[in-house]
Amino acid sequence: MITLPVAPQFSTEIQQHRAATLGMWVFLATELMFFGPLFLGYGYGRLHLSDAFAAGSRETDVVLGTVNTGILLTSSFFVANAVDALERGAHRFAAIMLHAAIALGIAFLAIKGIEYSNDWQEGLFPGAGSALPKGEQYFFLLYFAMTGLHAAHLIIGIAILLAFAVALGRVADPVSLSARLRVAGLYWHFVDAVWIFLYPILYLVERSG
Amino acid sequence: MKHRKPPVRRNAVILAVLLLLLAASVGSAYLRLGVWNSAANLTIAAVKALLVAVFFMHLRDASALVRMTAAVALFMLAVLFGLSATDYRNRADDPAPWQMPRQLSGAQWGQSSW
Repeated sequence: MITLPVAPQFSTEIQQHRAATLGMWVFLATELMFFGPLFLGYGYGRLHLSDAFAAGSRETDVVLGTVNTGILLTSSFFVANAVDALERGAHRFAAIMLHAAIALGIAFLAIKGIEYSNDWQEGLFPGAGSALPKGEQYFFLLYFAMTGLHAAHLIIGIAILLAFAVALGRVADPVSLSARLRVAGLYWHFVDAVWIFLYPILYLVERSG
Repeated sequence: MKHRKPPVRRNAVILAVLLLLLAASVGSAYLRLGVWNSAANLTIAAVKALLVAVFFMHLRDASALVRMTAAVALFMLAVLFGLSATDYRNRADDPAPWQMPRQLSGAQWGQSSW
């Protein structure tokens, strides 16, 4: 068993670890409430303006969206490996896995940036000067708000993983970071899970029609 | 301390299933299934999210308290969606009475009659 410094408010290391895990899950619950209204707004539009939402969705880039989904799922695999490896003492392998996840996170953002640039040039950005019908503008308002909020979370996630990747190479006892990395991993996987739902509702609506 | 082997193989199996589900998701989207397209896609998304939560987020061996926290979060979101949906279900799609006539003339939301 790895011994961690136990903060004064906890009696045991296990209690400290459980409190940290619970705290992160409670934070993720609030994050769910943060993303929730956008999903509700989407549900309203999908039910009330279904033709406009189908037309809007067909304007998105399904190839880049699908590639990005695969990238994010794979990054979660690397983060899960990093967490499991560090708990077993394999800190070098954990660092490699973290760097791989960071690289994929940056690749995701780069592809999203290319998509945004294309969307902008195709005149999909909603607003006063937009030539799109109002219903499609509503779809693209949600598209940019949801993917933008997701990207902001991903940037924070990349920064956190980067901090761990650097720390693993510098601290005397890298394994002492394992409980914290586990909590950081929860955040990364949550951001991945949000994208899992964004992908079908933004990219795959009525593709067969 | 002896190093135990990290469960890379198990994680790789989960990743393979996730990528297969992604392929099923994009493939089914191009079949003419009507409303079942959305049903299939949302079900696949839910299964993918569940796999991530249970295996990658370690809900499988989490304490009852943590599992309850995750369940309560989803339950609360469902309650809030339900309450809001009853409002939208029973609200007429009319423009607000204080809008200017000039605004109303331009307020055509797609095919809907706002």
